[in-house]
Amino acid sequence: MAIDVKALHAAGRTDEARERYAELVGRHQRRAARIAYHYLRDAADADEAVQDALVKAYTHIGTFREELPFEVWFTRILINGCLDRIKARRRRERWLAPTPVDAYGVERNPADYLPSRGQSPEERLLSAERRAQVMTALGKLPERQRMVFILSHFEGCTSREVSTMTGLNESTVRVHLFRAIRRLRVLLTHGAAADTSVQRRGTRAAR
Amino acid sequence: MRLADTLLRRGHLAESALLEALLAGNRPAHLDQCDLCAGRAAGLNRWLDDVSQTGLETADDIFTAERLAGQQAQVLRRLAQLDQPKRVIAFPAPRRGETNSQDGRRVAAGWVGVAAAAGLVLGLIGGQVTARLAGSSQSAADRAAVATSPPPATGTSFFDFDIENSSLRGTPAGVLDEMTPRAIDTIVSTRVGG
Repeated sequence: MAIDVKALHAAGRTDEARERYAELVGRHQRRAARIAYHYLRDAADADEAVQDALVKAYTHIGTFREELPFEVWFTRILINGCLDRIKARRRRERWLAPTPVDAYGVERNPADYLPSRGQSPEERLLSAERRAQVMTALGKLPERQRMVFILSHFEGCTSREVSTMTGLNESTVRVHLFRAIRRLRVLLTHGAAADTSVQRRGTRAAR
Repeated sequence: MRLADTLLRRGHLAESALLEALLAGNRPAHLDQCDLCAGRAAGLNRWLDDVSQTGLETADDIFTAERLAGQQAQVLRRLAQLDQPKRVIAFPAPRRGETNSQDGRRVAAGWVGVAAAAGLVLGLIGGQVTARLAGSSQSAADRAAVATSPPPATGTSFFDFDIENSSLRGTPAGVLDEMTPRAIDTIVSTRVGG
């Protein structure tokens, strides 16, 4: 379908190209939103990052290579956009006071407070706590480990696909994934205290 | 099997070994023989699935279908704007050799030059004529003034100015003047004293 969009765009039939591209957007949007949200950990930022990536992919559709799946090509654009946003956010945060966070160290999203249907208050509370724990643990992972974990386990990408999307070696992807899971396991099953000891051990080993 | 697993864990696999096996997809033979390690591997797998499921649910709860529809509409709007030909607002440049007059009509630049030159010439001529006329009337007045004025008194100086003859007499300034010692008196008294 991306090839069709490319051909239509090249032929100057922009209305048709846009119509076809709208189908592509619908197909990849949710996945892109998940990746951006877990990477940026901010819904509004993720929304903008996805929009920008989709617009950028359309404007650069002429450079799309047929041998690569659109999904992989587009995810690479999205990841680069997310990285730029993280860099910009860090620059901004140097000049701003830290934003208030909850007990788990997560910036609370208003959506967290929306009641979901079909759950008892207790279930909702437990579910919210579990989500907050997972999000906090994910947030504690280094950026690359987090990205590799998200792509591998949330989106079900293979190491080869993750390698193409992120520009990392396949073996590096596997190492990042292994470390990410090991750390998540420590954070989510044994708590933050154990994580500190793991970090200390890692620092000692690095020396 | 690793030596550490053999010695420290009585042959059971460490969690990292289980994880490696899970990620690489090659199932160690030990898992087929040991129910405990097989159970641990299954538990690890379930835990990973649970984390992934929780992560996906969290993101999906935030990015609802309505929100995604809005996002798609916004993307398509931006794309439509991109595909539209760029609108360049032309700045009205003046035609060559023409300039705008104040009432909006165009006046040829040549005429503006002619008008400026004519103004300059008229100004010069007018200035010369005025200077000549003023010079002749001034010299006549000077001659008349010389004829009527008395000859200048000898030995007069700045200090000879007398309030008696001035218009200050009788005014508060005149009173003040009378109270003030005169410079000439001061000089004379100084000389006499010295």
